[in-house]
Order: sequence, then structure tokens, then C-alpha cells
Amino acid sequence: MRAEVVHELREILGRAGLISEPGRLLTYECDGLALLHERPELVLLPRTTDECARALRVLHREKIAVVGRGAGTGLSGGATPVKGGVVLGTARMRDVLEINAVDRYARVQAGLVNVDLTLAVEELGLFYAPDPSSQHACTLGGNAAENSGGPHCFKHGSTTRHVLGLVIVRDDGSVLDLSRPAVDPVGYDLVGLFVGSEGMFGIATEITVKLTPTPAVTETLLAIFTDLDAACDSVSDAIAARLEPSALEILDKLTIEAVEASVFAAGYPKQAEAVLLIEVEGAEAEVEMTLAELSRIVKQRGAIDVRRARSAAERKKLWAGRKGAFGAMGRIAPDLYVADVVVPRTKLRELVAATTRIAREKRLKLANVFHAGDGNLHPNISYDRRDADEVARVLRAGEEIMRVVVAAGGSLSGEHGIGIEKQAAMSLVFGDDDLRAMCRVRDAWDPEHRMNPGKLIPVHVCREMRNAERPR
Amino acid sequence: MQPAELVDYAKTLDCIHCGLCLRTCPTYRLTGAEPSSPRGRIYLMRAVAEGQLEASDATYRGELDFCLACRHCESVCPAGVRFGEMIESARAGLSAVQHRPVLARLARWFGFELVLRSRWWLSASASAMRFAQRTGMARLLGRWGEALLAMPLVPPRSERAPLAATHGARAPRRGSVAMLEGCAMRELYGRVNRATVQVLTGIGFDTHVPAEHVCCGALHAHNGELDAARDLARATIAAFEAFGDDAIVTNSAGCGAHMKGYGQLLRDDARWRERAQRFSRRVVDFSEFVAAHAPTAFSTGAVRELGTLTYDDPCHLCHGQQVRAQPRTLLELAGARRVELADAEACCGSAGIYSLLRPADSRAVFEGKLAAFEASGADVLVTANPGCHMQWESGFKRAGSRARVLHLAEVLACALDAPAARRDG
Ligand SMILES: Cc1cc2nc3c(=O)[nH]c(=O)nc-3n(C[C@H](O)[C@H](O)[C@H](O)COP(=O)(O)OP(=O)(O)OC[C@H]3O[C@@H](n4cnc5c(N)ncnc54)[C@H](O)[C@@H]3O)c2cc1C
Repeated sequence: MRAEVVHELREILGRAGLISEPGRLLTYECDGLALLHERPELVLLPRTTDECARALRVLHREKIAVVGRGAGTGLSGGATPVKGGVVLGTARMRDVLEINAVDRYARVQAGLVNVDLTLAVEELGLFYAPDPSSQHACTLGGNAAENSGGPHCFKHGSTTRHVLGLVIVRDDGSVLDLSRPAVDPVGYDLVGLFVGSEGMFGIATEITVKLTPTPAVTETLLAIFTDLDAACDSVSDAIAARLEPSALEILDKLTIEAVEASVFAAGYPKQAEAVLLIEVEGAEAEVEMTLAELSRIVKQRGAIDVRRARSAAERKKLWAGRKGAFGAMGRIAPDLYVADVVVPRTKLRELVAATTRIAREKRLKLANVFHAGDGNLHPNISYDRRDADEVARVLRAGEEIMRVVVAAGGSLSGEHGIGIEKQAAMSLVFGDDDLRAMCRVRDAWDPEHRMNPGKLIPVHVCREMRNAERPR
Repeated sequence: MQPAELVDYAKTLDCIHCGLCLRTCPTYRLTGAEPSSPRGRIYLMRAVAEGQLEASDATYRGELDFCLACRHCESVCPAGVRFGEMIESARAGLSAVQHRPVLARLARWFGFELVLRSRWWLSASASAMRFAQRTGMARLLGRWGEALLAMPLVPPRSERAPLAATHGARAPRRGSVAMLEGCAMRELYGRVNRATVQVLTGIGFDTHVPAEHVCCGALHAHNGELDAARDLARATIAAFEAFGDDAIVTNSAGCGAHMKGYGQLLRDDARWRERAQRFSRRVVDFSEFVAAHAPTAFSTGAVRELGTLTYDDPCHLCHGQQVRAQPRTLLELAGARRVELADAEACCGSAGIYSLLRPADSRAVFEGKLAAFEASGADVLVTANPGCHMQWESGFKRAGSRARVLHLAEVLACALDAPAARRDG
């Protein structure tokens, strides 16, 4: 990049808003998926929408690619600058701008960490419902870009159900203000369109989100199984019985061992083959009824014990264990590959077993911890990125898992996004016509393909589109 | 030296790059910059070990220096990364490859090799500091002088006298303990040491203080002077072996966390490894010891007269030793009017000599803490570490606040010696 451009950007953002030393840039070469990496030429950390817009105008003029980044906890390589260019981080944009407890919304800067919003509104009897396991690190901007979920999204729905408005800085540095706290968008729902766009439609700088009232009663159950299949079957049964707990999460034996060895040890019994973590919230009578039904189901399916959290502290501990599960896998091997497939909930048992089989065939260590209620599996494969052969086997296993799941009527990703990791697999679910339609939507937002290039759309479709655009 | 020896390579592999540490890191909070986060620093260490980055890279050193080594990240790391140990070895690696300017080397030598190794030099420096503070001569010392003037006044020589070697129990005898007098604690907060003795003897323990001991080496280790730290560890172990298996009580969180890790520090030293492990098992923080032996000795009500108290967790007590409940419980049982401090586990910016080396960053970190204190409505800040004690005192002074800082031992001593206590005891 030309020195004058760097200088110009530094003038806009100040010294603290620009990182250009090669050593420091190295730390931006990947996100939570360390498998694939590429060092950016420059990192920009604006403080405000205005700074962000002015910087993007310069990058537009210079035709430089821009990759948005929140906290870099993404698991599909979304924030990795595969085509070089500039990483634009929101880590300094973390102000709470407005809280309206009556109309129940908050307007915040996009770099605010998910849990900090809940902490800011807790005293008002409100919370922000989508709770990714990474909620102590990930940003609301990243959540919006990935349409993230979390254990409690089983009841409350994923991020898209909670984003009311956005301020977006577009590829050319223009600012699109869509921040009305209204529930029903008039005209095209551009906010809905942006959520889940993986940084390819522009940079969100402000987000208006819905706040949810803290339920009157919350109860947590831990059902203990000596058999993973039985845990899966009880979830299928609970869904069939039309029960609506707020969360249904399964952890298998390997995951339990890792969690119990960590600072987040939650008291999951180590001899269990699986535990099912259940949360139910609402009015007291309704909660008790649901709990009774669920207890009956898990016992029928062979749970050897059902424990109920006795205090808020105990509940918190059970959840901290669940949410620390990915990280705890660091005890098993240096790296972790997290698949994110969604399966029909009537087929939980078979497909969980299929993932285990695939890993075994490839001599890989697999742990399962997943949002069972949504059928969103996270087969976690431990590996060491320094072992090229193992890396190849991991990638093949990931692909096979997606194939098996898609063949059974499932989907590639529940919440982590496509990024670079599942890009090729898009063709498993979408025909070229579908993908071309997606490309045309992207063209409307980013005609030069400078926003997070090289993601989501399979390479062959991009190439074909580019050829078609050439003047004949 | 091979690149892989410049850092603790094996430990860098424990990091799975999930980012759950980011939000706890004081320097990431200040800057929002990935390289200034634990995950980023580990990434850089690994890059050095794997030959992707030169250890002499100025930004690498900059990021290591910027870290406060508060170890908050360890408390939230699901993978169990031992960041404190990693930053110490990475800093030691830096010392091996980097040429510091002559003046900096001289200052390090003076501090680590002279002052922190000899009681005479320690006491002489304290006197010199007091002189410079009182006469305003400190102003002539530039940046260092400014830091010196911002510090609380070094107490007069009479308050810096060493503790007697033995203090008999003042209540029915329950046993005996050995106590670490410390280097900075003795020179700057002799009153805390005296309060500690008062409490320990007041709950029935003969208290022994090894006469010639100088420093446990924590400051050396935190700053990458690992060879000196090992020397001092061996001397400390030897000094305390004279007291059999008695508990070694310390009122300094930084020293306690470090001494509990001697086993790890001397793991490659065949002759000392086991002695070190045995020593480490004996080390307890003052609050742990008192809570285990006499938690209810302080219920006199005298503590209420101090006003509203709030306890700020020293990093090396909560993150380094997992001691969180005991100080709070003791304050409760002593009948204190206590409020919680928001974000009590966040670093105050003291970080040993960091506040002297990087005063601006140290103050920036402190700002959030001061705001939390003001919001708490407390009159007294209770701590359990000399570095934090000094940071809070200078912070209050700068802000023109009338709030006081007390060590937990001082609070308990005041409860113990109230007339009611004598009646009960
Ligand atoms: C331990 C762990 C647990 C996790 N658990 C869950 C979970 O339960 N549920 C879940 O859904 N995910 C989970 N994730 C994945 C990840 O945390 C989410 O995808 C999260 O939303 C990413 O947020 P981030 O701020 O880290 O974004 P990043 O990783 O920095 O970026 C993610 C994507 O969003 C884009 N982006 C970021 N900010 C903006 C912005 N302001 N405007 C436009 N685009 C932007 C980036 O370009 C990139 O494509 C987990 C990850 C980890 C490491």
C-alpha cells in the first residue's frame, strides 16, 4: 500500500486507530479458525461511524479490499483477509448509545461485546436474548454479520429476530441509516437482508436491538445419561411432544472430561456418557409443568439421574461449563475444528452416530457438544495444525459430515456462517441458479466485490459471473 | 539460542485461539488491539518460536512490555493456558537477545541486582527516595522523579525498622507460623507488617520472621530476570526451612502467588525441585490463614467505625491464587459495612514496577477502577498487596479524594485490639 494512503488514513483515525507494523499485523491473520490465515496489509480501528465512513471513502478510491472484524471469534474464517487488503475492526467502537427500557430496545456501537449489553440492562429487568457460547468475547456486529445463535435461541430465535435497526457504512463510504426501533420494516427489509451477510454488504457501525424481559422463573435441569443415543432420543421426544424449554444442550463424554478439567468445571459427572442441559423459563405454573414432562421423558429414555439447579449460582456454573466447552478442548490438542451442521431433529441419533463414525474412519478425535433442541450439531475435531496429514483428514471429515447431513435433509451451518471454510460446500445445498441470485444481491450492495472478498459464494460461481459481466 | 527456546513453546500450543480472554485484558480494553491481548501475545510468542517473527522485532518487545502480567486471562481461559509463566519466559528470552540502552541496563542492574538483593541497599534507597520526595529534588530526575513524586511519601526510618525475629502468641497458643516480611512491604508499609503480626499473635500463633531474608524474587521473575529469581528462590527456601513445616504466611499477594510457584520455577533444578515443592505447599496468604484458623476472632464492631469498606481483589490473589472469598468473609464476620466494588477482579494498573516504568499506561488502567470506587460509595478501599496499596493511595491523592486505603490486616488488627476483643479472647 502506498505510504501516502497510510498517512491519509492515519490522519483520519489517529495513531491508536491504525496498525501497520508487520509484527502486530500477524495477529490479525486469522479468527477462531486458525487453520486458514492471511496477513492483512493494514488494520484500521475507527472510533465512530464518521471515522469509519471517511476511511472507507479512501479505500474505495484506492480500490482496496476491506474485511470487517469484531472480536475475531468467528469459526468459519469470516474475518480472515484471504485476498489481503485492510482489516477494519470495531474493537474500539463499544459504547452503549441509548437504552429505552419502556420500548425495550438498545442502540449500541457494533463493537460492543455481547454480554456487556446484558450487563448494562440487567438492573432494568431486561436482557439481550441471543447468547452465543462466545458471548463474553464476540461483538454484536459480528453476531449480526453471522446471524449468530446460542443455547437460548431455541426459544428466543437467533440474532435476526432481535436486530431492529442498523447503521451501515457501505463500500463507497456512504452511510445508510436504518436505525428505526420499529418492529415492522416498511418496504424491503434491508436490515433483515444485512443480518447474516458475513461482512460482504458493508460494515455495521451501530445496531439497534430488541431487549427481552427477564423471565419470572428460570429453572435448570441436568439429565445424566450412560448412553449418548438415549440423550439424543429424549430431545427428539421432547420436540415431538411440543415442549418449549428455552434451551436443550447435549455434551458428550469427551467434552465433559475437558470441561471438568478446566476453570469452568461445572460438576458434570465424569462417568456419564452424555449430559442433557435443559432450561425452562416463564411463569411458575407453566415452568413446573414443562419440567415435569421433561423429567418424565428423560427418565423414560434411561437418564440415571436428573438434577435441578438449586440456586442462581449453581445455574450459572452449569452454563459456564457449557459455554467454556469449545475452549476447554484446547486441553486435548492445540487446534479445534468446529463443524456446525443442522440436522432434522427426528434424526439426531443417527446423524450424531454418523459423525462419530466418520471421525473414527479418519483416525480423528471427535467430541460432540451441541444445541440439540435446534438440531444444530457441533462435531468438534481436535487436531494439530502443524501436522499436514492430519489437517487434510480434518478437512475431509468436515466435508463428509456436511454431505451426510445434507443427504439426510439437513444444512451446512446453523450459526457459524459459511466464510471460507464451507464455501465449496455451498454447492451441496444450492444450485448455480440460486448462487447466481445471491451474487446479484451482493452486486447491489458491493458492485466491486471489495467487501470481504473470497467468502461464501463458491469460487466457480464468482468466476462465471465475472466472465458474464465482461463486455462481449 | 534457538527461536523455540526464547519462549515457552509448548505452552503456546495450549491456546486454542477462542478469544474468551480478550475482554478481561486491561491492555486490550485500552486499545482494542489484538496484538495487545493475551491471545495476540501468545500468537506472537508462537510466531517467534516457529521462526515467523524475529524476537528482536520492536513491536514484539513492545507488546510484551505493555502487558501488566495481571493473569486475569488465566481466570477465564477454558484451555488452562498459564499466561503468567509464559510472559515470564518470553521476557527472559527477550533479555537474552535484546540490547537495551546502557542507561536502562544500568537501572535494571541497580534495581534487580543491588537494591532487591540487600537489606542495606533497600533501606538506603528508601531513605534516598524519601529525601528526594520531601525536598522536591525528585523533580530533577525527569520521568522517574515524577513517578516518585506521585507515590505516597516513603515513611520515616523509624517506621521502616525490621520486625523482631520472634513474636509470642498473645492469646491461648495454637501453634507457630513463619512470616514473610518482604522487601517493598517493609520499606513502604511497615505498619501493615506490624498489623499482620498483631493479628497472627492475637489469634494464638507464635510468629517467626527470618532475620536475613530480603526478597522472594517475584519482581525479578515478572520482569524476565529468571536467573536472579531462581537464586532468590533458593535463598528464600533455605531461610524458611529453619521453621520446619510451619505455614509461611504472606501479606503480599504478588509474593504469595510467586512463592506458590517455586516448584514450577525450579522444576529443572534436580537438587532443589523437591525442596521447592515442599516450600510452595507451605505458603498461604494472610487471609487464607486467618479464615482457616480464626475467622470469628474479629466480631467486635470496631470495624464499623472505619466507615463503608470495599474490597479490591489483587490480581495475584484472585487470579494467581484463587483466593476470593476469604477476605470478603473475614470482613463480613468482622462486622464491616461492606459494599462490592464493580469489576473488583480487574487490574488496578500497579503491576509491580509497571507503574514506575509506564506511568501513563498504569494511570489509564487505573481510571476505570477509580470510577468504580466512586460509584461504590465506599470510604475505605481494602487491599492485600503493597503494589495495589500504593497505586490506590497515589490515585486517590491525584484525584483529590479523601478516601483511605487499608490492608486487610490493618482492618482486622483494629477489630482485634478493640476492648471488646480482649474481653472475648
Ligand atoms: C468459544 C466459541 C464459542 C462460540 N459459540 C457460538 C455460539 O454458541 N453460537 C454462534 O452462533 N457462534 C458461536 N461462535 C462463533 C462466533 O463467536 C460468532 O460467529 C460471533 O458472532 C462472531 O463475532 P465476532 O465479533 O468475533 O466476529 P468476527 O469473528 O470478528 O467476524 C465474523 C464475521 O462478521 C463480520 N463482521 C464482524 N463485525 C462486523 C461489522 N461490524 N459489520 C459487518 N461485518 C462484520 C466479519 O467480516 C466476519 O465475516 C463461537 C466461537 C467461539 C470461539
